[in-house]
Amino acid sequence: MLDTTYNVETPEGIDLRARAAGPVPRILAYAVDVFYRSLILAAIGLALLFAGVAGIGIWLVCAFLLEWFYPVFFEVLRRGQTPGKKAFGLMVVNDNLTPVSWGASFVRNLLRFADFMPFAYATGVISMALGRHFQRLGDLAAGTLVVYREEEKAPVALPDSTPLPPPQNLQQADQQALVSLLERHDDLSEARQRELANLLEPMTRKRDNEALAYLRSVGSWLLGGRG
Amino acid sequence: MQVKNLAVRARLRSPWESIDLGIALARRYWWQLFIVWLLPAATLLTLCYWLFPESPMLSGLFIWWLKPVFDRLPLFMISRALFGSPVSVGTALRHFFSPNRRDWFLWLTLRRLSPTRSFDMPITVLEQSGGKARSSRIGVLHRKHSGAATWLTLTLYHIEIFLLAALSMLAFLFIPEQYAEGIEWMPLLQGDTLWLEWLYNALYLLIMAAVAPFYIVSGFCLYIGRRIELEGWDIEIQFRDFLERQQRERRARRRETPGTASLILLCSLALGTMLSAPPPANAETVDTPQQGQERIDEILAGEDFHQMKEISGWRKKEVDEVKEKFPQWLIDFIEWLIDFIEWLFERSPEDTESDSDFEWGPEIAKILELLFWLGLIGGLGYFGWKHREAILNSLQWHSSPKEQQAPPETLFGLDVRQSSLPADVCAEVMRLWASGDKRASLGLLYRATLSHLIEDFAFYFGDHLTEGECAQLVRARQLETEEELRPVSPTLSHFVQELTANWQQLAYAHRPPAEAQVSTLCSQWQEEFGNDR
Repeated sequence: MLDTTYNVETPEGIDLRARAAGPVPRILAYAVDVFYRSLILAAIGLALLFAGVAGIGIWLVCAFLLEWFYPVFFEVLRRGQTPGKKAFGLMVVNDNLTPVSWGASFVRNLLRFADFMPFAYATGVISMALGRHFQRLGDLAAGTLVVYREEEKAPVALPDSTPLPPPQNLQQADQQALVSLLERHDDLSEARQRELANLLEPMTRKRDNEALAYLRSVGSWLLGGRG
Repeated sequence: MQVKNLAVRARLRSPWESIDLGIALARRYWWQLFIVWLLPAATLLTLCYWLFPESPMLSGLFIWWLKPVFDRLPLFMISRALFGSPVSVGTALRHFFSPNRRDWFLWLTLRRLSPTRSFDMPITVLEQSGGKARSSRIGVLHRKHSGAATWLTLTLYHIEIFLLAALSMLAFLFIPEQYAEGIEWMPLLQGDTLWLEWLYNALYLLIMAAVAPFYIVSGFCLYIGRRIELEGWDIEIQFRDFLERQQRERRARRRETPGTASLILLCSLALGTMLSAPPPANAETVDTPQQGQERIDEILAGEDFHQMKEISGWRKKEVDEVKEKFPQWLIDFIEWLIDFIEWLFERSPEDTESDSDFEWGPEIAKILELLFWLGLIGGLGYFGWKHREAILNSLQWHSSPKEQQAPPETLFGLDVRQSSLPADVCAEVMRLWASGDKRASLGLLYRATLSHLIEDFAFYFGDHLTEGECAQLVRARQLETEEELRPVSPTLSHFVQELTANWQQLAYAHRPPAEAQVSTLCSQWQEEFGNDR
């Protein structure tokens, strides 16, 4: 089964799962960062206009600092998110899924130079497209990874149903599917929901609306409701 | 198409994740898709080279324009691969024309520049729908995913351009310096050398063929992701999986039963002969497996198996507090910067006199003024656009009739529909009062008043109003009557104020009015509303 998840098992035997982010959102996030950086540089440039040649010097220093340390600053102090990454819900983490450290962030950002070669991040793009977890060269060297940040799920309004105890033999994935059927009652069409409920006829011995109502009741029991 | 054969994990994905999945899937089948895209396109380009060697630009544009035609075969291949029946490159190439029959003209004209091309293509190629069916389908699919599909097209288009630039740069880096000095760059850059143009065409063709699998498969995965979301494929697969598992278990159990039964029989026989007494029945006996199953279900559904315990308490958590403060070097640097600027300013009078008579002040002021005006115009435009509906509405001077708001059914938790009132309100009020339920009694009177105000006088009481504010509305209409609304007499207004005050006293302060007061209110109510029924 092909998927883009990234799994790590801790020494305590706990499975951690993250969703690796691919080249397209990362490129767009980078474009947003470039936009912000240019804005800042333009503002600094305007402010330094009166300072003459010294102003140009200061501006160049600022440009240098922004180019190389803007990402480092945000990645380490702002939970792995530069403003562009934040806009796309991305974050940088170490490849054991711990928060990115100063050293790793420095390495991955200094090696942007390698990813840039020969022009316009061609190497980086190719490396991201071919790598298993969408890592560019800097990521591979620093042992980092860009993943999607887990968003808090907003509570969904559930249809009324009296909770009923589930049948036995339900594995976790089955339970999740039942809960999902309940939670997506607004997104799936009624006919499709009945069709899905009919699939389980050998277990429920019910059909159509009756089966759907029963599965919803089981789902709401699984979510913690008690009749 | 069998959903259960899906070669990728079905789960809910954000549009971006679907695109990522497309990248991963394209990587797996890249060679095949690359060849299938490249061969027809390269054939055509060679033909162009042979027929029109003089116009490389037009040939390149021609191939680029035909992209939707070349995209269809890889899409067909990846769809087959995704549902578990992959086709080989040779078979696919032999079917080059069959996926291209439908709607090819539209795709090459109107839709050629559509930013959601790869997302929409499966609807034509795989669902085989066109016309109205297609547009309504697109309407459903686009609702959440069109943004990401557009960005996908834009991003991959730029990647193509940048890769071409990168390849040229790479070639340039490999030219030895001695030669590089002798090359005349201008004619090359202006496109006067034919062989270079054709070389560029070939390079660009390779890049297009290399990027196309990612583009096509990402768009296709966006489409699949949307369908998983709309049709609950993940749920379907899980349900089927569950049923299959159950059947397997049942079959396994059935296979085991004869063996176990004979074993038990043997044991009990042996025991029976040894002890020469029947084995004691400890548990309730059941006759059939069906009953046994039911019994198991019953027990599992009981209290014992569904107890939940919530344990809460305070534990100390080990947290390294990272204090974010400005590092000392930054403070030092800023202080130095301030000193430096002050030093500059101290120096500046002599500078301006000695160096030049160019004045910085007015120039900066002009730029700032320009920026200010731009900002102001932009801001005004933005607000105008954002609130355009409100502005347009206010410009129409009530020319359109106000929206008819549905009268509320409950106010302050009281049911104010007239249908909920008893036939003779006053008698019911006095009866309730006499029975001692003063709150219900006065509540009924107040409720009946509100109900009549809403339905006979067309008052609109919003949810946000308090009782006092409702009374104020009544008084406001008494003082100043609008044309099309029924006027309110001073006595009615007075009655409403009085009743509201009494009801508030009772409802919130638990101070019931005297009985005489209630009967006065009742008779007033009868005068005001008694004839309306």
